[in-house]
Amino acid sequence: MEVFWLGLSAALAVAIPALATAWAQSRIGAAAAAALAEKPELGTTVVLMIAIPETMVILGFVVALMILLGGG
Amino acid sequence: MIAEMVRLRLMGPRERIGDVLDVLQDVGVFHPAHVRSTRVDALAGGAGRDRRARQLQRLLADLDFVLERLPGENDHDTGRDEEPAPRVEVARLADWAKLARRTRRELTRLAAERAELAEERGVLERYRAYQEGFSRLLPREPDPDRIRILPLVLEAGRSQDRLRDGLDALLGEDYELRTEPLEGGEVAAVLLMPAGRSARVDELLGEAGVRELPAPPGLETRSLEEAVPAIYERLVVLDERERKLESRRQALADARTGELTTARAAVRDRLAELAALGRVATTHRAFVLEGWVPEEFEAGLDRRLRKSFGGLIVVEHVARETWDEEAEETPVVLHNPRLLRPFEAITRMLPLPQYGSIDPTPFVAVFFPAFFGLILGDVGYGFALALLALVLHVRSRDGTLLRSVSEIAGACAAASIVFGFLYGEAFGDLGRRLVGLRPLVFDREEALVPFLALAVAIGFVHIVLGLVLGMIAAVRHRQTREAAGRGISALMVVLVAVALLTAVKILPGGFFTPAVIALLIAFPLLIVAEGLLAPLELLSTLGNVLSYARIMALGTASVMMAVVANRMVGATGSVLVGVVFALLFHTVNFALGLFGPTVHGLRLHYVEFFGKFYSPGGASYRPLRHWEPATDEPGEPMSPPDAPAA
Repeated sequence: MEVFWLGLSAALAVAIPALATAWAQSRIGAAAAAALAEKPELGTTVVLMIAIPETMVILGFVVALMILLGGG
Repeated sequence: MIAEMVRLRLMGPRERIGDVLDVLQDVGVFHPAHVRSTRVDALAGGAGRDRRARQLQRLLADLDFVLERLPGENDHDTGRDEEPAPRVEVARLADWAKLARRTRRELTRLAAERAELAEERGVLERYRAYQEGFSRLLPREPDPDRIRILPLVLEAGRSQDRLRDGLDALLGEDYELRTEPLEGGEVAAVLLMPAGRSARVDELLGEAGVRELPAPPGLETRSLEEAVPAIYERLVVLDERERKLESRRQALADARTGELTTARAAVRDRLAELAALGRVATTHRAFVLEGWVPEEFEAGLDRRLRKSFGGLIVVEHVARETWDEEAEETPVVLHNPRLLRPFEAITRMLPLPQYGSIDPTPFVAVFFPAFFGLILGDVGYGFALALLALVLHVRSRDGTLLRSVSEIAGACAAASIVFGFLYGEAFGDLGRRLVGLRPLVFDREEALVPFLALAVAIGFVHIVLGLVLGMIAAVRHRQTREAAGRGISALMVVLVAVALLTAVKILPGGFFTPAVIALLIAFPLLIVAEGLLAPLELLSTLGNVLSYARIMALGTASVMMAVVANRMVGATGSVLVGVVFALLFHTVNFALGLFGPTVHGLRLHYVEFFGKFYSPGGASYRPLRHWEPATDEPGEPMSPPDAPAA
């Protein structure tokens, strides 16, 4: 049973930030597409801004690892 | 690094300003600036200059129009190794304007004729497809007196059946309907029926919505048997006319491209001179021009002006104290050693650093490939990237962005190979399986916590370095409080790291108490230096350190995908299918391995690292020089040119 809760915790630690990241990136991507239509020179900035929310899922991944490793 | 600039003031007789601008343009290092003196009357040129500039802009628009449309390579205008474009004399300007307008009219006429021919060709091609379908259905020996032949176009589906039912009712068995499918889903049909029964059949066809085969324009009176050969003949005529148009266009290009190209370069040079003239201030007898020159080229420029004008033109330094505070106006020239120069492309993706601040290029040159290698960390992928970099290098020209990208890719490939050997990875675990490649530091598949610790430690070093650079930049600008704040922040980050390492027993326990005491002392000092929001900034900085955990996350994902790709070989029943799947997976992983480390490496630099010291807002260095194609990009700063000729 403990293994089940460990696995579930680790999965949630990744899944919820991943959903949040996806939602954030969808909003940024839509705004970026509109901005690029008017100013194509913003391409590099836009790619970086889309990458910023990925911190959430990466930290979630780290937490998941810590849960799994800490739980043995 | 950012090249040292000097601000010069040139003064001389007013009537010599044109010659001075010519010489400055030949030398190509002087960046004109606004004159600050209040003792001059007006800017040179005035309304006349504006009028000339408008005329030249119109001429340039015509030249650009015709050169874009003439066949052949027109983008290699007068380049660095060729003679500069001739000075624009008024008579030559008028000749060029006439030539450009005449050429534009002829090209417009040729384009209109080509468009007409293309439209006619499109129509004929459409009919040809129809007509060929029908010609196969025609009877061999038609008898127009007895039999009427109706070519029809039917929709696919049940329209044929409905038509046959209608014809059966009307004509009984006294007709023949031959059909053949056409491209696009329609059906070609030829209705053969007695000549005298056509009126009622026309009614039936009208009610059923069936249309007759349309005839192309000009061939309406031709019979079906004559139409197809006529279409082919017409297409041959069109081909010939198009060839003639093309050869006329080529003849225009051969005759005029050289002159028009020279004209364009000369007009652009003249426009640059007129723009510089707008910065010149004058008195009744004299002119004053101020501007920036990289310090290393100052002596050469001075010699050249003396050689051209004797002592007539006075060159003096503007005291640094008068412009040192205006860092936003001073143009910035990034000037780094050859090995680091490609990485200027990464710095230039952001606004230029302010003059007097720190050029991050040398640090990017060290850390960006390192991060890339840490994440990709695979000998096989590294060699694949090296091959890609070589191809880009061969296909690019010196001084272009693509050449810089190829050199950065080469550095990243080298780092990936080095870390690949340290991790013992070549296409995942394939190296281990085939040649017994073993990790020299740790195995990324298993040592997740050590890899995470390494990533965070690298982040800690990078962030502290950024804070130290921020402190140095603040000291340079004599911003004592900001320098103190950055220094204390760096110290507190170090103390937090010491305390944490002591807590997990990596450092001896004796460090813990002094670290905590030092933190408690530094905390109020930080608030005094940076304000009440400083603790939030510090927390944000510590969060920035954790952000480097992405190096571990992306690197682990990369190696796991490579391992999965290798396991595909044995997963399916067939080795061949497994190998194909494995190659596909490795290709996808390689593509992700190029994109992910690049984007995240850039993000770590731009957001976490640059945020600690980078001061954007530097002005582009745009010296008065002869126009060159590679430098005609807005906002693109230029590296210092070759030293001016003595």
